Amino acid sequence: MRSLPRRRRFVVGLLLAPLLTGCFASDGGNESAGSPDGSRLRVALAFPPAENFSPYGADATLLSRLGVTEGLTRLDANGAAVPALAESWSRENDRSWLFTLRDAAFQDGTEVTPKAVAASLTRAANAEPVTAALSGVELTAEPAGDGRVRVTTADPDPVLPLRLSSPGLVVLSDKAYAKKDAVSPVGTATGPFELTKVTGTTAATLDRFDDYWGGRAQASGVDAKFIADGTARTNALRTGEADIAEAVPVSQAASLDEATRRETATTRTTSLLLNTKSGAFKNPRVRAAAREAIDTSALAKGVYEGYADPGVGIYGPALTWAADKRVEPTGRAEAGVADGTSVTVATYDNRPELPEVAQVLKQQLEKAGFKVKLEVREYSRLESDALAGKFDALVSARNTMLDTGDPVSILASDYTCDGSYNLAQLCDKDVDKDVSRAESVADTAKRQDAAMTAEAAILGTDAVVPLVHQRIITGVGAEVRGVLLDPYERSLVGVGTRR
Amino acid sequence: MVLWRAALVAALLCGVGLLPWLSRTDPALTVLKARSAERTPTPEVLAAIRSQLGLDAGPLKLLGDWLGGLSAGDAGRSWISGAEVTPSVVQALGVSLLLMSGALFVAMVTAGAVCARSLWLGSGRRLDDRRSAGTGSALLSTLPDFLTASVLAAVVGVQLGWLPALGWYGPQWMVLPALSLGLPAGALLGRMLDDLLPGAFAEPWALAAAARGVPGRSIARQALRRCVPGLLPNLGLFVVGLTGGAVAVEQIFDIPGLGRLTLQAAVAQDLPVLQAGTLALVLLAAVAGGLARLAARILIGPALRDGALSSLHRPAPPRPTTLPLLYGGLLLGVIALGLARNPLELDTTDRLQSPSWAHPFGTDALGRDVLARVGHGALSTLALAVAVSAAALLVGVLLGLLPRFSGPLVDTVNAVPPVLAALLVTGIAGSGPATPALAVTAVAWAPLAAHTSALLQQERATTHLTATRALGASPFQLLRLELLPAVLPPVVRHALLRLPGVALALAALGFLGLGAQPPSPEWGLLLSENQPYAERAPWAVLAPAAALALLGAVAVTGGRGVRWPGVRRVREWRRGGSGAETVTERGARAGERESMAEDSAVHPVGDGTEEAVAVGSAGDASKVGPAGPAGPAGPAGPAGPVGSAVSADPAGSVRRRDA
Repeated sequence: MRSLPRRRRFVVGLLLAPLLTGCFASDGGNESAGSPDGSRLRVALAFPPAENFSPYGADATLLSRLGVTEGLTRLDANGAAVPALAESWSRENDRSWLFTLRDAAFQDGTEVTPKAVAASLTRAANAEPVTAALSGVELTAEPAGDGRVRVTTADPDPVLPLRLSSPGLVVLSDKAYAKKDAVSPVGTATGPFELTKVTGTTAATLDRFDDYWGGRAQASGVDAKFIADGTARTNALRTGEADIAEAVPVSQAASLDEATRRETATTRTTSLLLNTKSGAFKNPRVRAAAREAIDTSALAKGVYEGYADPGVGIYGPALTWAADKRVEPTGRAEAGVADGTSVTVATYDNRPELPEVAQVLKQQLEKAGFKVKLEVREYSRLESDALAGKFDALVSARNTMLDTGDPVSILASDYTCDGSYNLAQLCDKDVDKDVSRAESVADTAKRQDAAMTAEAAILGTDAVVPLVHQRIITGVGAEVRGVLLDPYERSLVGVGTRR
Repeated sequence: MVLWRAALVAALLCGVGLLPWLSRTDPALTVLKARSAERTPTPEVLAAIRSQLGLDAGPLKLLGDWLGGLSAGDAGRSWISGAEVTPSVVQALGVSLLLMSGALFVAMVTAGAVCARSLWLGSGRRLDDRRSAGTGSALLSTLPDFLTASVLAAVVGVQLGWLPALGWYGPQWMVLPALSLGLPAGALLGRMLDDLLPGAFAEPWALAAAARGVPGRSIARQALRRCVPGLLPNLGLFVVGLTGGAVAVEQIFDIPGLGRLTLQAAVAQDLPVLQAGTLALVLLAAVAGGLARLAARILIGPALRDGALSSLHRPAPPRPTTLPLLYGGLLLGVIALGLARNPLELDTTDRLQSPSWAHPFGTDALGRDVLARVGHGALSTLALAVAVSAAALLVGVLLGLLPRFSGPLVDTVNAVPPVLAALLVTGIAGSGPATPALAVTAVAWAPLAAHTSALLQQERATTHLTATRALGASPFQLLRLELLPAVLPPVVRHALLRLPGVALALAALGFLGLGAQPPSPEWGLLLSENQPYAERAPWAVLAPAAALALLGAVAVTGGRGVRWPGVRRVREWRRGGSGAETVTERGARAGERESMAEDSAVHPVGDGTEEAVAVGSAGDASKVGPAGPAGPAGPAGPAGPVGSAVSADPAGSVRRRDA
């Protein structure tokens, strides 16, 4: 084998060097920590953008968490709609609402006008597939003069302001829609931070938007990195490579200092859904036996290491109003005897705690006399079988506040005869009646009351056994202030967040 | 050959293109879930996705369009993100290639370290002093890469802070991932090389060279040169395997590589990305395979062509030791102790307890006894892993015997990411209880076949085979009596080395709903379910990892034979000297082949030469230093045979340099 002369080897090395650097990921942004103008925040996020930051899918939440996009309204801590880009609103009639806009500017310098808002909403309403908040809703928007926008729905929609708080219904400038088949939120949104550069699915760079209507943000920018692995994300915080790490897995929480661990109760409830249509759990007495066999505090303490609250209902403590309005479930069947009944319990491993929960449940159910077989798969491989009712029971973690921002939506989709996500295969006349009554109430407080009545009816069927209400752990560096810990997981970085 | 390779690639791409239709999973649903896991799959949403992706046109139209675009250099757009596929795949490939080269460097160094002792002893012709070793490298080669990666990231990256624990921004980010990938791979390659080296050092040219006073260093170099071609195909497989299959390491260190990209695409059935990624890997495999063949030709080409190699047998079967008994006993002891306990009883108040009298191996995240789980998991893990390994060995050897047929097949199969292979097998065979075993077997045979082919190629070029052929042995006789006995032992040892890897691969398919399901204490499952706690409760992962490593050690040391304590089967006359031993051994082997020819004249070149050289060099070559200066004239008798031996030497340069 001949070898290159030394000098030529050196030259080849020099030529190869830039080629090699091309094989490394770019670092996202330049660090200007400690500048007088506020330093940049480094954020490690769990979910990489799936659809190039399209606002109509899951990436919408990402944009809203980073303070890039805003809608007409937003949710406050009590789950009520409060002003965002809209200063105020009123219901014109059953089907249409008038929203009065505030004085705000887009990040590309243009002004937020009724025309631009109407165009944004129209575009969202026509998106294919339609954004989650508008599924089953026909919506039209038009400028109404005097800085107002008229939003009309085909059917009466008492929760439209809640719906418009969805990250999928944000307002972008004309420039965002320049391309026919893609929407670009880069430099076209209205939030305190402007998306300036996207590095594939690994990183994104954001700069402060100085003309934000809510005041100038304290951090000069945000460098976001998308790190899917929970341990790696935690390591990023521990090594000081990140200031904020979202969704620290329970297994890694103990490796963080107590001061850096911030717990937030979330609207995510882990529950055991029992198949009411076929199999062993068709019998309500067997369902009752299963419910009585389960000790939820062992799950909250043992599996979630205390980063969860024992299940009390479909809605957890994150919905602050729920606890006071809770109604005792009625009409529960008397527990029967399990007597060696064998059941299949399925769950998915995308959330690492769920298989552990299922294994604890297995032991608890077996102590009560059931025979349990577990089935653990990746979620997309499980869902269609679960929806088809192929398992006797399913352990599932579900966000109880869907994109609509309306607590009744989940009851309608998950527990009614026509529900599109009815994993428990529940079809109960009383439940359907209670849910449709709740859907028709406009007043927020009364709607919540009605939702709690419906919850009691659902729990009365024992189709669902709430196991735990998860708390999310956010890792926050010691010198970081003003992180927005939101139970709805819609915000994280805001005007007051700084390092 | 080229046609066959192209046909395979086309078949693979078609298989990928038909994947959703084969496995009857709706791509619209998996794409929706990849885009937004929380989204309810209402019929309207699915229909919108279908029309957006043009799924209703059917798989053939989609495949045709994709291929059409490909010819114009456009690999389409991702079904999930709508972004162009080509740039993302090219970038990920670049990252993965860089990671792989780092790992390859580590692997080379590791392999060097593993055989350093053999090389050192061999160059001084003291190989026979060597006790059967290799436990260390066997242990190392069974280390699951995700475990090494977790430990390195946590200890070196986070706690010590010496090197960055995650990211991919420059050379120092390469060190830890390269180490976690390269160490086990290097140990495996090193073991295989170490397996061949004694044979090379026992070849006539080595003896002759030593007799002539060629420095030990040169001999060692040439011995390497003699052995490396047998490993090159496997090295090529490693290159491709590490490029596309480093998923765990990419995840732990957050490296945007091809492994993660294809895994995500396979799970989401994002066909354009999956097809492009697979194509890139298959092309890489073809290039790597070609380079490996080219390198082998450069190294020993002339000798191969002229059929002038001698058989690369060990001079003597390695001395059996009691080591396998020791390791096996230890493993059995652990299993027996574990079997007496309950592996399923969980107590969440007792979770992640460190080892104590009550729980000698500690408890796992649900408070189960780790010892009990290791013990109870042994049987199912071992039975399945052994069955799969045996099947892979059988298929590998059979196909390895047909190198022209299997060569491209090996390259192609090896390039397929394991998850994709599993999905394809599931699509074809359905998801029955045997599917995981089938899926692992479908890829596990490839390295064994490559190894078989490589050894076979060399074995076919040996001089004694030419002679046997000349004496009228039929191809079948050749195969049964000459080729297989020469090729099988190292391949079997190779298969044994890979046994722990098979066990891990079986468990890795769990997330597709294949294979062992919790709470089964299957070892691979134990490793993966305890991995998140590796830093807080290292014992919960270390126990099953150690059990796997012990299994590897038993396999490697046991592959060399077992000496029962108290039974002195070692023949005392061997002490006389390695040369005499070699001759006797060869004589014995020749005797075994009586069915073919009556006496050892069958091997006029092979055995005759050796005998002559051995006699001439009086056994221990290191003692004949003075004979060197005597030059080619040397002792009159052996001069001829020595000459022929040196010319048969793949490293003819030994003589030239010496001259």
